Order: sequence, then structure tokens, then C-alpha cells
Amino acid sequence: MNDVKGYRSPLIITFTTWKALFLREAVARLTSRRNAWVWLLLEPALQISFMLVLMTQLHVRTVGGIDTVVWLVVGLVFANLFKRTATQSQHAISANKALYTYRQVKPVDTVLVRAALEGFLMVVIGLILVAGTSFVGYDFIPNQSWILFAAFLNIWLLALGLGLIASIGVLMIPELEKIIGFANGPIYLLSGVVIPISAIPEPFQHWLMYNPIVHSIESARKAMSSYYHTSPDLNLFYTTEVALFSVFIGLSLHSRFVARVYKK
Amino acid sequence: MIIIDDVHKRYQTDHGHGPWVLKGISITIPTHLSVGIIGCNGAGKSTLLRLIGGTDTPSKGRIERRCRVSWPMNYGGGLQNNMTGRQNSKFLCRIHGLREHEIPERIASIQDFTEIGAAFDQPVKTYSSGMKSRLQFGLTLAFDFDVYISDEATSAGDAAFRNKAQAAFNDLADRASIIMTSHGEGTLTQFCQAGIWLHNGQAHWFDDVKDAFAAYKETLPKQRPLAKS
Repeated sequence: MNDVKGYRSPLIITFTTWKALFLREAVARLTSRRNAWVWLLLEPALQISFMLVLMTQLHVRTVGGIDTVVWLVVGLVFANLFKRTATQSQHAISANKALYTYRQVKPVDTVLVRAALEGFLMVVIGLILVAGTSFVGYDFIPNQSWILFAAFLNIWLLALGLGLIASIGVLMIPELEKIIGFANGPIYLLSGVVIPISAIPEPFQHWLMYNPIVHSIESARKAMSSYYHTSPDLNLFYTTEVALFSVFIGLSLHSRFVARVYKK
Repeated sequence: MIIIDDVHKRYQTDHGHGPWVLKGISITIPTHLSVGIIGCNGAGKSTLLRLIGGTDTPSKGRIERRCRVSWPMNYGGGLQNNMTGRQNSKFLCRIHGLREHEIPERIASIQDFTEIGAAFDQPVKTYSSGMKSRLQFGLTLAFDFDVYISDEATSAGDAAFRNKAQAAFNDLADRASIIMTSHGEGTLTQFCQAGIWLHNGQAHWFDDVKDAFAAYKETLPKQRPLAKS
């Protein structure tokens, strides 16, 4: 087939399609609603401020040995990264339905690109929040920056995997959308985002450690300071395992059931 | 050349597999030959065009495109409603591999062809069906394809636009071919040399599109008068 004029390799086509989708999604995400880009930043900022006021009132100055502000910023940036990536990926297929007319665009592309965009946006938002809080005097120099990076990558990968599964899942079983919405509710409580995991008594603490999100967020906090005490069961590789497993399942579901997306 | 090799297609419904729409179609469409696809409603004309254009994949069999084939142009398809005409155009330029510095010129030519004025920078959801047709048509013509696929693409739009589309189609006929469906016999015989008649999930090839029409009409109920086309 290489003799066709203007032939492009599948890899090149995939990359140009990802780039086109990324730019399209970025424009939609930043301009679709009035001041959409402000709210992207403001949402986690307000969550942090609200929790900070609450914890200051409760005289919680440090959590597990690190400053409450650092603890909250890391926890809420990671939790938002997870929630946004998973939600945006889940709705990627239906949001781009018109574009599957073009054979260059496959449903899985839209999910991957949306997840990449959310990851990118959260890096920017995280840096702005860190810059802002550093400016008023908080210490944001991580002790082990590569673990912070690995934790970020792991929770993003987990969100991508679950988003891949959910994106095709809600098309096959529409009721799944309700269940996912229901499961999203207590995610902040069950992931140690706003309640310190070390403050939760056994055996519940042990049970919460089955939640892969906890391992990523707690590892990130531990990467900020070696003094941070957390659960002794902490293991970032557990998040990696669950994340890779869910990405594998998600991609398999996409390749097996993609035909249903195209039904008239 | 487009090779269609033993292609079967059925759709997934909410209650399992739907009926077979196409049951084992094998046809090779040579380059530079325009083909009209004829069949009654539900015969699988649009399905076959979507498969040739690569929008959908066959349930069984395979399709090989050994030339540059456009996406299937049909009513309202392929336009993202919340994007403007310009953003849709830009997206298409990118997925077809244009470099960033080539895009402005290409978009100017699309805008020029569509003649929809300021609406080009409004979201597509605000467009009338005629405006959508104009944009879709302008988009397809902006890229050099060897084969253009048209699924009743010229049916919307006012008289002025239809004349313009007709002229553009005629221009195309010199350097490219068209695979199309239309319910107008005149349109098909004007643009196509060969014909494919789809009947009961099977495809029948005719070197002359008029013979395909004759075969198609033979299966129609005799007692009813035929609609003029």
C-alpha cells in the first residue's frame, strides 16, 4: 500500500490524530463555558481553602508531621486529577461521536487524549497552586521528587484505566453510569484526602489500604517529607499493579466491543 | 482500486445481533471509475459506503483501499456541533496530515467555497441544514482524494449551491472518481459509469449504471406507477 500518493504510516496518522484531538479538546475544555478556565483552577483552590479554614478552626496545624497546607494541596490536587481524568475519559466517546465519521479517529483515541489533557492541565494547576502557597511562605520542596512524580503518574494511569473501562462500560450497560456516580460520592472520604489515614482505627485502616488511590496520595505526601507518618502498609507498587491491570482490561474492552459504538 | 472481499455486516442492537445487512459482498472497484449504488430503502447502501470509507468495520471479510478515499459525505455527518465551522475545518486539516503553516490557506479556500460568511465562526449547531451541507462539501473538496464518497450529499442546499456543487463534482470527475448513492436516477446516470445493485444483502455489478437501474426496477412491484426521477 506504500505506493499510494501521500501515504502516511499508521503511527504518523495516530500521532497527528492525537494532536488534532488534543487541541480540539483543549479549546473545548477552556472555552466551552463562560470563564471555564478560571473554574478549572478555582475548584481545587476553593476546596483547599475550605478545608484549610475547617482544619484551622479544629487547631490542626500539622497532619502526620507535615504542614496541613502541604498535606491538603497534595491530597486535593491528586484527588482532582483522579476524579477529572476518570470522569472526562468516561464521557469521551459520546462527546466526540460526530468525529468517528473520519476513519483516522477511533473511540479509544478520544479517551486517551482526554486523559492526557486532564493530566497536563492538572500539572499546570498544581504548579500554580504550589507557586501561590510557596509565595505566602510554605515549603513545597519535595524530599524525594521522583516518588512524587511516580505517584502522580500512577494515579493518572489508574484514572485512565478506569476511564477506559467506564467509557465502553456505560455504552454496554447504561445503568453503570448511576453506579459510578454513586461510587464517586464518598471517594474523598475513602481515599484519605481530607481525613488522615493514620487517624482511622484498625481494622478499618487496613481495609482502606485496599483502595489504590490511598497508596498514591500517601506516597506523594511521604515524598514531601521523610518525617510524614502514614500507614505501615503503604506500597506505591500496589497502585501501579491495579492501574496497569485496569488499563489492560480497558484496552481489551475497547478492542472487543468498539463496534457497538458505531451502531446507527 | 478498492477491494471489497467477502464483506458481511450486521449491526449490534440492544437485543443482541441484528439481521445481516450485507451477506458476503466481493467487488473490486477500479480507480477512475465512478460507481452509483442502487437499491431500495434499507438495502444497505449507506452501510456499504460507510464500510468503503472506513467509518465502520465489516463484521466479516475485509476492505482494502489502495488509493486515497474520502470519508462518506452524508447529511449532517462528521461535524462536531459545539465546534465552529473554522474549528471543524482546522481539525480535519490536522488529521489529514497538513502542516500547521499550510492550514490557514486551506481554511481560507474552505471558507471561500462555503459562502456562509460570518457563520463560519459560529458553532455548527446554529447552522441550517443547507449551511451544513455547504460546509461538508467544502471540507471534502479541500483535500485531494482519488475517490470521493457521497451518500446523498447534494440533496440539501439551495439552487445556487447545488449548481456550484454540480460544477465542482464535474471538475472532480477529471482527476478523481465518485462512489455515490442517490434516489435521483438523473444524478446517478450523470456522474456514474458503472452501477452496483444491492438486493437481499448481495451486490450485483453492472458495467453500465443504466443496466443496474433496469435490474433494480424489475424487482419493484409492477402494479404501482414508478416515481418520476
